[in-house]
Amino acid sequence: MSRPHADAEVVAGMDTFCREVLAPHAAGIDERGQSATLHRRQLAEMGLMGLNLPTELGGPGVDAWTLFECVALVAAACGSTASMVTAHYLATDSILHGGSSEQKARWLPPAATGEHLGAFALTEPGAGSNPADMTTMAVRDGDGWRIKGTKHFISNAGEADFLVVYAKTDRAAGARGISAFVVEPAVCGGITIGKPERTMGVRGGHVFEVVLDCIVPGDSILGREGSGFRTALKTLDGGRLDIAACAIGIAEAALAAATAWAKEREIGGHPIADFQGLQWMIADMAVDIAAARGLADAATAKRQAGERFSLEASMAKLYASEMATRVTDAALQIHGGYGYTSDLPLERYARDVRIFRIFEGSSEVQRNIIARTLLG
Amino acid sequence: MKVLVTVKRVVDYNVKIRVKSDGSGVELANVKMSMNPFDEIAVEEAIRLKEAGKATEIIAVSIGPQASAETIRTALAMGADRGIHVKTDVAPEPLTVAKILKGVVASEQPGLVILGKQAIDDDCNQTGQMLSALLGWPQGTFASKLVIEADGIVVTREVDGGLQTVRLASPAVVTADLRLNEPRYASLPNIMKAKKKPIAEKTPADFGVDPSPRLAVLKTIDPAGRAGGVKVASAAELVAKLKNEAGIL
Repeated sequence: MSRPHADAEVVAGMDTFCREVLAPHAAGIDERGQSATLHRRQLAEMGLMGLNLPTELGGPGVDAWTLFECVALVAAACGSTASMVTAHYLATDSILHGGSSEQKARWLPPAATGEHLGAFALTEPGAGSNPADMTTMAVRDGDGWRIKGTKHFISNAGEADFLVVYAKTDRAAGARGISAFVVEPAVCGGITIGKPERTMGVRGGHVFEVVLDCIVPGDSILGREGSGFRTALKTLDGGRLDIAACAIGIAEAALAAATAWAKEREIGGHPIADFQGLQWMIADMAVDIAAARGLADAATAKRQAGERFSLEASMAKLYASEMATRVTDAALQIHGGYGYTSDLPLERYARDVRIFRIFEGSSEVQRNIIARTLLG
Repeated sequence: MKVLVTVKRVVDYNVKIRVKSDGSGVELANVKMSMNPFDEIAVEEAIRLKEAGKATEIIAVSIGPQASAETIRTALAMGADRGIHVKTDVAPEPLTVAKILKGVVASEQPGLVILGKQAIDDDCNQTGQMLSALLGWPQGTFASKLVIEADGIVVTREVDGGLQTVRLASPAVVTADLRLNEPRYASLPNIMKAKKKPIAEKTPADFGVDPSPRLAVLKTIDPAGRAGGVKVASAAELVAKLKNEAGIL
């Protein structure tokens, strides 16, 4: 697979790590619904937890192209682990985009080394794709803030050392009344975390309900009051591109499995790869993946240049997530009955990619964003 | 004490080897290449010696084409301090490698050279032994344990009959076997940092060595495919076949 812009040495190192450390446990994590935090120590030692952060904050200092390929490789090996890692990136990106230099220096280095695990708490039971509907409130309490409300589908919350919680500091101001806070459950108390939700796929990327009634210090607010929505949008640009990377990584793994299978599996004395109907399926899958890569490349180029890439990220996320549903389904179909069994990873791929069309803005919301950019 | 480790670029252990259609060798085009796994163990051992305060500097040396520099970078990312790349486009034979290494040893003066016991491409298992002979240094091959003591290097060797422990006077040559350690993964921050570590470029001629081959490869062929089995009707027939056809009994 051609990855012209990414750092070849980092990608080769990640490839070996994913193949030898993550991939052998992916089926077991899925089957048992075991938390992907199983790999937390190895991921931390590998330096993967800070991949989105610059060297001065403890990251390895890779470029956006390399970050994209690394996320794709992790997802191809284990979708649950990719979910856990990218959720951590959402938390640290929030601090990176919204925090003061003191706040970054305080919270990001231990998160970059993987010593501290982060969670990104934006979604609520009644506010998913429209965060402005959130009801969690943060009100001044002496020198600090009292945060009260319920967040839902929060990845990593069960083991997180810190959560970036988005809450309204001004109920009447809509999206402009949202502020972001760093909340450390072990320090402030008052946080109740439910059991992991039972999900269709990404079963080791645990998501939780989080009930907050806590008081946090005054310096927990990221940036100024009311800047939270802007921070969230900027963070989600990166997050959506990460999802495109996950979708592409899993789709490429599915295509590789399907081509290998098609050359091995025989019907009537011929490998099924000899049949034109199957050849066209393989061709369509490859074109679909390449198209998604093209959109992702456009977003990555802007990210690397330090420009805003909201439109490109939405397009890449929309197309890649829907592409991954098509490609993993076709790959399963090529495997026939064997693809439907859990002995092969095809059915897991098909389940894991389904969430990509839903979280961090559903496909429908991405279309809204794209249309709004065009129509004003 | 300086430690010299050797790293060879070979076809990745996970690749299914294909013989070239003209029989001149194995297919290397578009094939994933990585560090010889036994060399990874050698590098890891050197790093552990440094972490334990027994080694002061680790030098990784590779002999091969331009791309061998990538293999040295991997060693640097694992924790070696600097590299020496002896460039040659001729696939070097064990004696050539040993002669070049002798020259590297003469210029670097290490107290210990650790090599993989063999490379997984040609499986020669000769270079360490030849280097030891050329240098006149003691050798501890097939090491599964290595301890640096005040009066020498104690090596536990994996031999056919079990384990043999030898004490070598420093400087010495050690070759790493599979159970010596479990190599670490080069972390992403260390891969980035390794880009700044120096690699000195040399040629075989710098060490007065002519790398042209002394051996000619006549042909390379796939192993014979497995022939189909037969069912025997009775134990007597089985015994007869083992006696007369297989020659086992």
